[in-house]
Amino acid sequence: MHYLSLFFDYIKIYMKTKLTYRSDLWIEIVSDLLFQGLNLLFILVVFMHTDLLGDWTRDEMIFIYGYFMVPYGLFTAFFNMWNFTERYIIKGEMDRVLTRPVHNLFQLVLENIDPSSLFGALSGVVIMVYAGTQLGLDWAWYDPLVLVLLVLSSMMVYFGVYVSLIAIGFFTDSQTGILPLVWNLQNYGRYPVDIYNRVIRFSLTWVLPFAFVGVHPASYFLKKGEWQLYAFLTPLMGVAFFLLALWIWNVGVNRYRGAGS
Amino acid sequence: MFSLPAYLEMVRMKFLMMLAYRVNYYSGILVYAINIGAYYFLWQAIYGDNQTMQGFTVAQMTTYIAVGWMARAFYFNNLDREIANEIRDGSVAIQMIRPYSYLMSKMMQGFGEGLFRILLFSTPGMVLVSLLLPVDLPTDWRVWPVFLLMLAFSFLINSQINILVGLFAFFVENNAGMMSMKRILVDLCSGLIVPLTFFPTWASSVLEWLPFQAITYLPASVFVGRVTGSAVWEVLLLQFVWFVVLLIPIWLVWQRARRRLFVQGG
Amino acid sequence: MDAIRVHRLRKEFQVQQNREGLGGALRDLFDRRYNQVVAVDDISFAIPQGEICGYIGENGAGKSTTIKMLTGILVPTSGEITVNGHVPHKEREQFVREIGVVFGQRSQLWWDIGVIESFRLLRKVYRVPEQAFNERLNELVERLQLGDLLTRPVRKLSLGQRMRCELTAALLHNPKILFLDEPTIGLDILVKSEIRDFLLQINKRYGTTILLTTHDLQDIEALCSRVVMLDDGRIIYDGGLDELKRDWGKGKELLIQFGQPCSPERLRALTADLSVTWEAVNEFTLKAWIPLEQANLTEVLGRVMTLAEIRDLRVLEPNTDDIVKEIYQTGAGKHV
Repeated sequence: MHYLSLFFDYIKIYMKTKLTYRSDLWIEIVSDLLFQGLNLLFILVVFMHTDLLGDWTRDEMIFIYGYFMVPYGLFTAFFNMWNFTERYIIKGEMDRVLTRPVHNLFQLVLENIDPSSLFGALSGVVIMVYAGTQLGLDWAWYDPLVLVLLVLSSMMVYFGVYVSLIAIGFFTDSQTGILPLVWNLQNYGRYPVDIYNRVIRFSLTWVLPFAFVGVHPASYFLKKGEWQLYAFLTPLMGVAFFLLALWIWNVGVNRYRGAGS
Repeated sequence: MFSLPAYLEMVRMKFLMMLAYRVNYYSGILVYAINIGAYYFLWQAIYGDNQTMQGFTVAQMTTYIAVGWMARAFYFNNLDREIANEIRDGSVAIQMIRPYSYLMSKMMQGFGEGLFRILLFSTPGMVLVSLLLPVDLPTDWRVWPVFLLMLAFSFLINSQINILVGLFAFFVENNAGMMSMKRILVDLCSGLIVPLTFFPTWASSVLEWLPFQAITYLPASVFVGRVTGSAVWEVLLLQFVWFVVLLIPIWLVWQRARRRLFVQGG
Repeated sequence: MDAIRVHRLRKEFQVQQNREGLGGALRDLFDRRYNQVVAVDDISFAIPQGEICGYIGENGAGKSTTIKMLTGILVPTSGEITVNGHVPHKEREQFVREIGVVFGQRSQLWWDIGVIESFRLLRKVYRVPEQAFNERLNELVERLQLGDLLTRPVRKLSLGQRMRCELTAALLHNPKILFLDEPTIGLDILVKSEIRDFLLQINKRYGTTILLTTHDLQDIEALCSRVVMLDDGRIIYDGGLDELKRDWGKGKELLIQFGQPCSPERLRALTADLSVTWEAVNEFTLKAWIPLEQANLTEVLGRVMTLAEIRDLRVLEPNTDDIVKEIYQTGAGKHV
């Protein structure tokens, strides 16, 4: 309960900060949406020259893309620590965090919330609805609940990957540049993994499991028979990566407190 | 150019700094390899049974992707972000009192970074990729030096765009959104993700009037042998023209920025 | 009861070593070398409740490292710490609720919003009941004269204003122990003395134990009854400030202006058996340092007067600054 009420207090702080820079907020939202639009453009351009990608149609791809935007938007709304090493390790703000009586990771998440990316998630829903209608998908009464479950699981996958990567900051304070690079990779999760060869398919499924933030869970709704098994795996992967990340994070914090400087 | 030794020292320093970031180096190689691989398979799937699309054979497409990404490893830099950060935290004012041009020094640092990547990153990467994927390297030796020269222009033009975007931090409080948008725009409009010929005609005719194609699409087209003969020199000329043209807005923005800096104290 | 108790505390770091030049950097790429550095070397001390203790030492002596261990940020390599009955690094979240920390060079307030918003959020973070918070805040606001600062964003505050707010933020939850890392750094004299007065008040009124590191020895003179001095990770002095002065300030400095030019050599010869040191300030003026154990003032003055006419004479009291310098120069403390 305490943490929940803290959460709303931080949101309030965020709103107050944002309202002082109102024009920035809009630029942020617009550029975020444009960014998503440009990615969609790629899919559209490609399908001007072909009808099928593997055995996936244009609208199926667009649907996957819409799904992809939802957990991503939600995740980045609550997790915006891309400059963690710089701000918390090099500039030493981690010390301040550690002198406060709230779990350190929770504090970090709260200090970096950015609800403006919720617009991305919203437009993802719109795209899904559009593509779903084009495809004539029929929704069972429980499908919205499944959607919520899958989206939550995908968010946990993101959390797992990025918290683990950010924890690298505890081990080396040099700019690793690994975050933006992995961030590039996540984009491949929105293409059907069967177009890749075994190694990449394996990596996107089990190592950096970005297939579980896009194509796998989306295929549940597309009723792509052979891929639905993976859709059901999404919650498992989410929990596994979530726990793994927490463990790595704690090892990192311990190491920071052991090594320090 | 009278403080050339100082600039060369900056190139060297940046090179050494890059070497110091070893994790960055390893992860970079890995991820560029995955990027190339992923796009290779993506395009394989797009081609399906087709042998050519929009004038690109499958082999040319593969080479195009490989060389495009390797070129990106060289020309890519974060000058925009560095400049924006220095403007925001005010350290740009301190840099101004040093006896060199601020923008030139940034450019040189970017070049040091690029030099590091082309020697320790792109070159071994290209060798590796051509072993793993069916890449057709140019057989005409003359293509190589010309391509290297084009790469230098790619670097210049891309850095110019970065500097321009970075300098906008003088005028808006937060240009982070603008910077990430620019990044996507450059990747898309330069033809890295999709060669320009794949765009609808109206789009590609617009893009022909923008500087982005000079970064990836044109040099890579020369490399894969889609542009040959005297057209090669036209590409070089176009790159040069864009380089000169882009100097103008940078100069203008920089003048205004400096005035702002001196009036408002940063 | 002791508020802080430290026994054989030790902290070692691994410091990465960079090879020189391009070749070196290339080798570093594949093979890193590390150096072991001992930042804090088996130190022991105890601070009773309600004491204000100055923790001093040169840069890199290990002050900040100790503070970070005492506040639970860092885990010691070996040794024991008890602060407020807790082991800081073990029950961190529980423990930090009862301490306040100010890092002089870093802000703990939110940059873009009014100071009061930060305070309100901290109230939630530390779970301070609304009423207690309001009382406490009113008191702090009054004492530190924050009145019209409260609604201003932190980035619009001057350094002095900000530091007053930082102190307030650290005290809102009424901590039993306050850790201050360079609290007066970069402040002007007026603000410094305001902050010192305030800390004394807090200490008197609530019995708050205060541990502060500082480079400003006036902070020490104004605040501390106790000084722990650190050099190279070791404690070289631990004791009262008065004793410090008594034990180390064993000498007087004289500034003598003569009626005619006087060389230090002649004076040295004159007082050779008294081990007085002489130093020329200018042609007419000399500075003498007289160790009181071996010589007395009258004796020295008596001899000097035979040599030349004295125009002016001043006796300089030893100040903490000189004492500290002296301790560092002799390299070893007495108490440890």
